[in-house]
Amino acid sequence: MATVNSGPVPMPVPNPLPAGTEPFTVLLLGSDDDAKFPPDRVNTQSMILIRVDPSTKKATMLSIPRDLWVPIPGQGMGKISTAYQTGGADGALAAVESNFKIHIDDYVWIGLAGLVRLIDQLGGVDMLITNPVMDDLYPSDINSNDVYGYSRVAVLPGAVHLDGVHALEYVRSRHGDLRGDFARSERQQQLLIAIKARAEHLNAADLPGLASAMEGEIKTTIGLARMRLLFSLAGDFTGPNVQRVVLLPPYTSEGFAAGQSVVFPDWSQILPVVHQSFP
Amino acid sequence: MSAIEARRGPQIAARASIALILIVAMGLFGLGVYRAASLFKSSATAVQRPTGTTFPALPGTMYVVQDGAIYRFANGSFRQVTSESGWIQPSLSPDGSRLVVARRSLNRSDLFVLSPLGRVLLQLTHNQSPSVETNHWAFYPRYSPDGSAVYFSYDPKDPYNTYRVDLAIFATGAHDASAPAVQWSQPNEYTGGDVDPIPLRNGALLYTKFSIDQQSVVHSQIWYAPHAGSPGIGLTKPADDCGQPALSNDQSMVAMVCRHGGLQSADLEVASFDPSVPALGSFSVLVGGGLAASPSFSPDGKLIAFLAPGADGGPFQLWTVDPNPATTHSARQITTHLDLDSGSAPAWAA
Repeated sequence: MATVNSGPVPMPVPNPLPAGTEPFTVLLLGSDDDAKFPPDRVNTQSMILIRVDPSTKKATMLSIPRDLWVPIPGQGMGKISTAYQTGGADGALAAVESNFKIHIDDYVWIGLAGLVRLIDQLGGVDMLITNPVMDDLYPSDINSNDVYGYSRVAVLPGAVHLDGVHALEYVRSRHGDLRGDFARSERQQQLLIAIKARAEHLNAADLPGLASAMEGEIKTTIGLARMRLLFSLAGDFTGPNVQRVVLLPPYTSEGFAAGQSVVFPDWSQILPVVHQSFP
Repeated sequence: MSAIEARRGPQIAARASIALILIVAMGLFGLGVYRAASLFKSSATAVQRPTGTTFPALPGTMYVVQDGAIYRFANGSFRQVTSESGWIQPSLSPDGSRLVVARRSLNRSDLFVLSPLGRVLLQLTHNQSPSVETNHWAFYPRYSPDGSAVYFSYDPKDPYNTYRVDLAIFATGAHDASAPAVQWSQPNEYTGGDVDPIPLRNGALLYTKFSIDQQSVVHSQIWYAPHAGSPGIGLTKPADDCGQPALSNDQSMVAMVCRHGGLQSADLEVASFDPSVPALGSFSVLVGGGLAASPSFSPDGKLIAFLAPGADGGPFQLWTVDPNPATTHSARQITTHLDLDSGSAPAWAA
């Protein structure tokens, strides 16, 4: 069963009124969805807050480090990536809202296999690889009998056209980069922009195939009216209209807590940026 | 049988005929709608093999890659010279009699010398290993100007840290697979390493080096090393983010791709080059605002071939442009509906 749903928005009526032009915020969740985890109890490898302002046609993306050490409602201190594991999408939303002091209107969850299928259905994405992305311990857990296996990845620099599997390698690798998970966050934002660029070439005749490919791999509360608004605005969100925020040091610092490698937030520096970007 | 029943017989037959006609008409209508809708589908997946279509002819012979196969392009037609089995980054020997090519497999890649028709003559590296992390990569093979050596990128292992995988430039004998390789460059750690080696006639080397600054921003530079082991010098500024250098046959001009801090466009630029100084002259942008990749000079230096998406994005096609900064530059798209490997610079022979 497809898990795309209309969420809190009522079913569309003939000639629906256009969606409002008020800004809205969406939490994008990207997850492992393999056999390592019980269904719907997966880690979120990627958390990106996106604020869309239809009136100014500007968007802001803020990547939340997956190892950010925060209080998680109902759970205590933990990595923010585990909020979804224990509380599902509502848990992830609550963790982000309570720590970043913002309101989130909607969420989109996509599994790794779903991301691969989405990109393939789009015919691939054009990316600009800044430097060689090398990883000797890349998890080979998709379409694999050994979910704990690993393989080597080498994504070579330059402009490329990537299919889903190779785009996933690009945004998921992290071991061979000095900037670790922060580099991965940047690459994930870059991929979102590339997906947006390819989606501009879609039209209604492509949607059945896309929906079929994404079956069970995407969940969202975004209603059809807002989705349609996003679709119509996609072409306007070009380079200068998209602000990208990654919480690098000094906003965060790496360390250990509860025997784990974690990322500590400096809220005194993070919150002013968040409130400026997500007013 | 009553009279009424007798009249119903032809009526039923007529109705059945009408129903059949209507069903056929509905089927045809549905088929028409389906076909019409397909015309409106995006053409994102409309990729074809290079063979079977003719394109504008270019001077000489060129080798390009699609789906792991090497294709030879001459007189406007492509001919497949290897199977689709991981072949990438072909480069010609100085006399044009051989190709040195990387072949990529799961977890590793190796270098091979091929005839121009794709026959394997020699395997230069043997990077396969039983455990995943002890395999090696070999990329970007390039003959030295005298044809005696092959320069390439290779990942030496860090015995103290399995997370670190940085490519360094090595050189090995072009005719002897057992010849020890010499390490030329020392990559900046955790950048992914050094790529795109271009050996010069004076014995020096051009390549692309990466760095990560204090603000965690990645930069790339065209780097010059006068000899093996030399720290070398940058010929371009970090902020220009230049890479993928190509050298004209007379070594007087360098073409390169520069992104200037951006992540959505890579410009094709040229600069004069004096290896004796060494220095690059002022840059001229030949193709800006797109995603240019892997330039290559024609043997006579009058054209640059490069790879870039077609007019509305998507897979990479073959393009050419006049490298002369004094002329009005107008890039020309040579191929359509192909999916050329943008990381494999066209190997162009006379």
